[in-house]
Amino acid sequence: MLRLMILLVGLLAATAGFAPASATSTMQAQRVHVIVIDKMAYGPMPTDVRVGDIIEWVNHDILEHSATARDGRFDVDLKPGASGRITAVAGTLAFFCKFHPTMTASMVVR
Amino acid sequence: MNKSLFALVLAFGIGSIASVHAQQAPALNDAQIAHIAYTAGVIDVTAAKQALHKSHNKDVRAFAEEMARDHAAVNDQALALVKKLGVTPQDNPTSQSLSSAAAAEQTKLAALSGSAYDKAYVANEVAYHKTVNGALSGTLIPSAQNAQLKSLLETGLKLFQSHQMHAEHLAQSLK
Repeated sequence: MLRLMILLVGLLAATAGFAPASATSTMQAQRVHVIVIDKMAYGPMPTDVRVGDIIEWVNHDILEHSATARDGRFDVDLKPGASGRITAVAGTLAFFCKFHPTMTASMVVR
Repeated sequence: MNKSLFALVLAFGIGSIASVHAQQAPALNDAQIAHIAYTAGVIDVTAAKQALHKSHNKDVRAFAEEMARDHAAVNDQALALVKKLGVTPQDNPTSQSLSSAAAAEQTKLAALSGSAYDKAYVANEVAYHKTVNGALSGTLIPSAQNAQLKSLLETGLKLFQSHQMHAEHLAQSLK
């Protein structure tokens, strides 16, 4: 019985010890930055974007748009009401709407 | 549509209605505004289809595809909205003038080909969007009574301003 209790306490301690670290790393890896598209424009660009963060575009406009990288690294099609994601990589991330070339934006990923 | 002709149409159409509006508001009801906005969209879709039939220039064709897609999408929204509101778009002298002037412009453009056509089409798109944007911001949006119609027109204005900018850039590149 005593051995079982020690085992349980040890297990709880181990779980408790690992859980916060695990949650922290998950939060860091899955930090999501949302960019809302409406009325023919990308909303405010997120700041403090880190490598590995998620960048999500949400299209609230009545028209189809895209988030298309200038350097060709990604091309996210966004039908009205749709959303799309990429994982951020280091550098300046410049993109535009391939359907409406006057829609442009960029952000820095550190 | 020829720039001066189109300006004339709006001067005697929307413009004259606007002056009446100052005396006895509202001169344009929502059913008429919806009809004018829808007609303006149809005109540009028709012009775009003609461009896709006639032009071999990659940039001009991409622009025409943008016009056809966007104006059709906005008009779909407009139709859905008037249906939801139980409003029947009402024909009016401004819509009629727009349609007849656009038909005349399409006939004129049909006689052109190659770079002469491309330049004339894009120049007309610049003038058309500039004038429609002026009508939207100066008359149609202020006159709209229904909040949802007003919001759709405002979205349309943002869209058409973007189109105007695109057309202006394209016109520069064709010189």
